[in-house]
Amino acid sequence: MPYHYNTPEDKQAMLSAIGAESVDVLFDSIPAELKLGRRLDLPPALSELELDQHLRELASRNTPAGEAVCFLGAGSYDHFIPAVVDTIGSRSEFYTSYTPYQAEASQGNLQVMFEYQSLITELTGLDVSNASLYDGASAAAEAVLMAISATGRHGKVIVPESLHPEYRATIATYLENLATEVVTIPTSGGVVDPEILSEAVDEETAAVVLQQPNFFGCVEDAAEVNRITKKAGALLIAVFDPMSLGVLKRPGDYGANIAVAEGHTLGSPMAYGGPYLGIMACEKSLVRRMPGRIAGQTVDRRGNTCFVLTMQTREQHIRREKATSNVCTNQGLFALRATVYLAQLGPQGLRETASLCLQKSRYAAEQLCQHERFSLAFEEPTFKEFVIRDRENRVDDLLKSALDRGYLAGLPLGRWYPELADCFLVAVTEKRTKAEIDGLVSTLTKASERVSVPATV
Amino acid sequence: MRNSRDTQLLCELSRPGRRAARLPACDVPERDIADLLPTEATASSPPALPEVTEPQIVRHFVNLSTMNMSVDTHFYPLGSCTMKYNPKRNERAAAMPGFADLHPCQPEETIQGMLALLYEMQEYFQEISGLPACSLQPAAGAHGELTALLVAAAYFKDLGENRSKVLVPDNAHGTNPASAAMAGYRSITVKTTSDGFVDMADLASKLDDEVAVMMITNPSTLGLFEPHMREIADQVHARGGLIYLDGANMNAILGITRPGDWGADMQHYNPHKTFSGPHGGGGPGAGPICVIEKLAPYLPTPIVRKEDSLYALDFNLPKTIGRVRSFFGNVGVLVRAYAYIRTHGPDGLREVSENAVLNANYLLSRVKHILPVPQGNRCMHEFVASANTLKKDKGITAMDIAKRLLDYGFHAPTVYFPLTVPEAMMCEPTESESKETLDAFAEVLFRITEEDAELLHDAPHSTAVSRPDEVRAARQPVLTWAALSEAN
Repeated sequence: MPYHYNTPEDKQAMLSAIGAESVDVLFDSIPAELKLGRRLDLPPALSELELDQHLRELASRNTPAGEAVCFLGAGSYDHFIPAVVDTIGSRSEFYTSYTPYQAEASQGNLQVMFEYQSLITELTGLDVSNASLYDGASAAAEAVLMAISATGRHGKVIVPESLHPEYRATIATYLENLATEVVTIPTSGGVVDPEILSEAVDEETAAVVLQQPNFFGCVEDAAEVNRITKKAGALLIAVFDPMSLGVLKRPGDYGANIAVAEGHTLGSPMAYGGPYLGIMACEKSLVRRMPGRIAGQTVDRRGNTCFVLTMQTREQHIRREKATSNVCTNQGLFALRATVYLAQLGPQGLRETASLCLQKSRYAAEQLCQHERFSLAFEEPTFKEFVIRDRENRVDDLLKSALDRGYLAGLPLGRWYPELADCFLVAVTEKRTKAEIDGLVSTLTKASERVSVPATV
Repeated sequence: MRNSRDTQLLCELSRPGRRAARLPACDVPERDIADLLPTEATASSPPALPEVTEPQIVRHFVNLSTMNMSVDTHFYPLGSCTMKYNPKRNERAAAMPGFADLHPCQPEETIQGMLALLYEMQEYFQEISGLPACSLQPAAGAHGELTALLVAAAYFKDLGENRSKVLVPDNAHGTNPASAAMAGYRSITVKTTSDGFVDMADLASKLDDEVAVMMITNPSTLGLFEPHMREIADQVHARGGLIYLDGANMNAILGITRPGDWGADMQHYNPHKTFSGPHGGGGPGAGPICVIEKLAPYLPTPIVRKEDSLYALDFNLPKTIGRVRSFFGNVGVLVRAYAYIRTHGPDGLREVSENAVLNANYLLSRVKHILPVPQGNRCMHEFVASANTLKKDKGITAMDIAKRLLDYGFHAPTVYFPLTVPEAMMCEPTESESKETLDAFAEVLFRITEEDAELLHDAPHSTAVSRPDEVRAARQPVLTWAALSEAN
């Protein structure tokens, strides 16, 4: 059997030392009537070679980015992962360790957490960061709980429709049994309408959650949203795209009190949706309400600088039901990958990556819209994603035909936005070449010609 | 051998003008950013990230990695965390482009292999737990607890019952009461007896019609199988409540007994523990949950269904609680767990538990002569020793022993948990350790108890860092390198 050591002689010696006749006896504390009494109904064991062959067969029934050209986005993106990230992420001293409860045996992990926190604060323009949460959506829900607790306002939180629908759904699930109501406000032209927001936000509002750039890819007037939010005494929670901060203002710079993000794009694969990296940063005044692990610098008994987990009185293992959150794990390995990724990019690399996303996505949008069938659904400026309206309202057929030609061309929006049933969301990262973009445009327009020209016999 | 020069902070290694990444030239017609984005939204310069080279990055992080203990380098008997060997074949599986490079919103026809794997995982988890429905969505054990409690809340709301309490034994993981509070419940503590079992009289006094759920860890955090399990479940069910099983300790019972067969209505798994996905320095894990039939309509969506030979995502659960995160779940962790289950099969999984329990009992038989184990001579996959006598006699604490173990090349057990055992040292050797290692650990433990108290108070002596000042860290928090320059 694969990973245990005990030979029959070992077992005998161990059982003698225990004073047990057999291994079965060790399970005597389980009442006999509760025992399974049969084998689990699972497939028989595979050797490593057979496993490898089986997994290859399963994998061959998938079409990953690389086999198809990926223009899908909506919170998960096909960004480039430098080799150095995989090299460091594969160090088993990192990936086979656990939460650094024993600081002396975990200085590597603890310093990485400290460096990660430092990079995230630089990235967001906020004072403090935790050592990571599960993903962007659950981080947004945790931020909402923080805001409710910090403001003492239990009335409502406001989420515009331009916030990722799955983030809105997650927030709603987290708040389902609490007093606070989630108020969804409509958007105008793909962005928050200041008038609608002004009417919705009041002295019972704990927070407004603003995604920048938003789910549709549009750049919001964050300063205006912040002004309206703060006028009512509510907190601004920003959901940001880490890559966008190479060109866009940082959440802290436009007044966000808490900033959260999906951070898988910083060096971790799309992996069909997880595991991902929940980034969270906030103002100093909110740090004791923050969920999750936090590393801090201190000195040891010899006076040497070192790192420890700190402010643990917020956490479940100390405070139990009074903790700020039930979160126990962080996403240490992905925080490490993000740290390496950001170090590898540096300020110029981040700016250039962001700029490539911006230039290429705008080129793609323009090229598509040169065809009469397509138009941009919203006029607002975009960063790396945009919504295309199909004037023929045959999005599913269109995307299906693009897929047949090797393009994951976009995400239909009708499932979340019935009024956008004729629209799809397209994301363009730095990985997409001009040839791929031109190919996409040509494929979509050809598909369109085939559909729009009646067949002649 | 570690080189401490390169483990300076990245910000200290940074020099203006250095860089590691070169990006491709822009191959589309380039426009001025000011023409593309409103100036009030744009930043004049990028964030002040460090400027370092790739060789520096590699030397920095590789040297940092050597400052960790890990399963691949050391015995890591951290109780409750199941620090077993992390098979390398699992890592290779998760990294296959056919899994790693899938976008979560791809059409179903392009991910049939992925969905097949996830469908099988639902089936395996159901079979191992004896519970007939599964959601793979939660991202961690505590997230699974929260999800299941929200499922329970939706179920009771649907029944029109207003139940406000969750019962939690006093030796439970802290996540249990914290999850109950997050789900909007009042957490009520149930006492355990000196034997470490649920105090049935205390349970009876607290069990009423307002109890929605009793959360129980079985085998418990003391490594004991709860003898009254069936009775507890029957009593809670008789009052209309549900039983939640904290699945942290599934490594003890794979193929031997199933929570669904003793009355559990819901449970989570920790695939990063039981099914060997690595712990990653604190994550990512995963927290899939299984539930009984009547709770299935409330699970988060989507669920993978199989129709004929095709796999599809089912979003159509009208009573679903919704979502607890974005996208499908921690798929990369589930792929590793799949590889683990497939390479073990039903007999192999049972042998995992047999060896985990054998190893724990053997270590217990060696350790109990050195440190008392208040809750008995036998255990399941772990046991809790106490340094309380040693503390009284010689002033040596559980923390002293934990720190001194590091000097001898062993990671420490979990200390000061559960709270019900004074000076607790929770040892979980797992199945993937040898008798020689367990012998060596016991011998070192004995040697430490014979050592001078002063030596132990200052331990560890061989590590680069010893006894960090945690009070200072909490009172004068320095949480970023920017704060560091402010502090100086």
